[in-house]
Amino acid sequence: MKQLFPSAAGFEVAPLLDEVRTAPPLEVGDERIVEFLGRFARALLAPAIARAHPELASLGFFLRRGEIRRALDRLTGDELRLPRGLVFHVPPANVDTIFVYSWALSALAGNRNIVRLSSRSAGAADAVLDAMRAALSDEVVARSQRIITYDRDDSVTAALSAAADLRVLWGGDASVRSLRRFELAPHARDLTFPDRSSFAIISAEGWARATEDERRAAAEGFRNDVFWFDQAACASPRGVYWVGGSFAGEFRALLAEVARGDVPEPAMAVQKRVGVYGAAADGRVTRVAFDSAAVTTVEAPDVIRDWLGAGVLTHSTVRSLDELVPKVVRRDQTITHFGFSRAELTDFARKLSGVDRLVPFGSALKFAPVWDGYDLLTEFTRMVTVTVRTR
Amino acid sequence: MSLLAELTTLTAHHRARCVAYDRILSALGAGSSFDTVADLPWLPVRLFKTHELKSIADDEVFKVLTSSGTTGAPSRIFLDRDAAAAQTKHLAATLQTVLGPRRLPMLMVDTIGVIKDRRTFSARGAGVLGMANFGRKHVYVLDEHDVPDVEAVRGLLARHGGEPFLIFGFTFMVWTYLYRLAREHGFDLSNGILLHSGGWKKLADQAVDNATFRRAFAEETGLRRIHNYYGMVEQIGTVFVEGAAGDGLYCPDFADVIIRDPVTWAEQPVGVPGVIEVVSTLPRSYPGHVLLTEDLGVCHGIDDGERPGKRFSVLGRLPKAEVRGCSDTFGARAA
Repeated sequence: MKQLFPSAAGFEVAPLLDEVRTAPPLEVGDERIVEFLGRFARALLAPAIARAHPELASLGFFLRRGEIRRALDRLTGDELRLPRGLVFHVPPANVDTIFVYSWALSALAGNRNIVRLSSRSAGAADAVLDAMRAALSDEVVARSQRIITYDRDDSVTAALSAAADLRVLWGGDASVRSLRRFELAPHARDLTFPDRSSFAIISAEGWARATEDERRAAAEGFRNDVFWFDQAACASPRGVYWVGGSFAGEFRALLAEVARGDVPEPAMAVQKRVGVYGAAADGRVTRVAFDSAAVTTVEAPDVIRDWLGAGVLTHSTVRSLDELVPKVVRRDQTITHFGFSRAELTDFARKLSGVDRLVPFGSALKFAPVWDGYDLLTEFTRMVTVTVRTR
Repeated sequence: MSLLAELTTLTAHHRARCVAYDRILSALGAGSSFDTVADLPWLPVRLFKTHELKSIADDEVFKVLTSSGTTGAPSRIFLDRDAAAAQTKHLAATLQTVLGPRRLPMLMVDTIGVIKDRRTFSARGAGVLGMANFGRKHVYVLDEHDVPDVEAVRGLLARHGGEPFLIFGFTFMVWTYLYRLAREHGFDLSNGILLHSGGWKKLADQAVDNATFRRAFAEETGLRRIHNYYGMVEQIGTVFVEGAAGDGLYCPDFADVIIRDPVTWAEQPVGVPGVIEVVSTLPRSYPGHVLLTEDLGVCHGIDDGERPGKRFSVLGRLPKAEVRGCSDTFGARAA
């Protein structure tokens, strides 16, 4: 059992909870937290970190003062907003950075936070922790905000769950199920992020209208959407639906070109074959093409939502967005789009039984304070109404 | 029939009998004739963990073999009576090239518990039992408490040490137990023929590689007839056995290896490491005749050693793919 923030040290769960609970209170939008996040953002945007972990730059932008203010401004209303209290976060084992978004917004809401990082976290997570420690200057932040790691230990998980006012569970269906076994206090609740999947849509008409530069920019944005996090994030598109016609040939050639540098490690290259051959064996694939070392194209009537390996994309065609409506399921999270108008997308979104966000190419992994359909700052606060009798 | 012709026929045989296999080859656009063995479509060996692939009817299944993987689902390999018989026969023929036709007295470098305790019956146990058929008058180096049984070994050497005898064990066990024991007690193993397998990974931190292993046994115990071998349950019956000079693993005449570039999947030239593909005409009951392994290897030469064909070495396992998805499903799905 190790504490990773504010300082690297061992910990015992009872004293840890005592220290966090007795830390001086924070307000919603507490200036000390805003300050801390600003310094943290600057550390993440330092060239050395940005070069080594490009995905941390978007985290850095997310935490800048301006962005934070905008997030806080969304909270205005007649109700009072107060922190929920103690929030226990369990981020996914393999995503290095998602814990920061969840934790930062909860801290901004004035909560005391305990984040349990997986012992498997590495790489970018270390860089994040270094940047956080470097940004630390306020004692209140250090007392109330803790990041810890421990191997499976039911007694620790049970104690942290029992003490929490809100528990935030990431990491998919299996982790959500296994953590739900640990009881919360009667007033407390879970905020869960189960398994999700995502895909892209391209308007054939919009593609035909686009200039060569716009098409290339689309391919570059799509490349980031796919290859960051090895296409394994919930928001990573697993396939493309061409709407009203197809320019798949041209798009695939462009994608292979912009993804020249995304040559997989041998083990990932093997995984892609295992994934694709397996889908073919199941009869879900009609044709496979290895466009380049990085990009594998799978012709399938529908998107294959399972992760088959980094850089494996289905291409399917529908006549219209309406034809796509019944193919969307509750599990679908993000649709990345190209070539559609806002009106077309809004009309489409109204008809869907799933999907929480529709974002342009290149923004699939851009975290937003509204995630999986939840306004996180709202979830992280408690509303208090004050009513007086009007005369 | 040439190896290529046999494998081409076998490919058609499996396409006709295994729907999943046929779907894969159709999706790949594979044809029905091939110019070289390297042109044959391969399956990643892990597919036998994720899918049930067989070219026989359910009521023809005689035996289901499972792999020893430590994580995830095991491979499942389906044999009918003919396939089970063929694998035993071919394994024997391959091993006789180094053992000779007679069954020799046999020293097993393992614990007798590995076959006695049925509850912990494992792939290791299966390997030991399978190999036991090739010898007689078996003596185990370790007793059921995993303690070296010096007197048992001394007894075997006293009775049979003056004639050829067979030694079998996993590479790590052979080094850890037999080598130390023999050195400590000054045992003479010069009439022994050692067959060992399992890889060098566990010995890497002791800086023991094949050359060190062979030299140390020769110098300290007189054991010079040492044959490492390579094989896997997914191609049961096919083993690649090291030549007497230790200059690499050789292919039986019904098998071959292709070392592939992991980026282009083209065949690597001699001397350039890549991913090992194993090819064998044995698998008829399941489409495992052309398999891409998850092992790295290198081809040292072709038709330039003590036996015809390629000679190669296994360099180790491919490192595992680390995936950073939000839903932690990788561990559940992959091996």
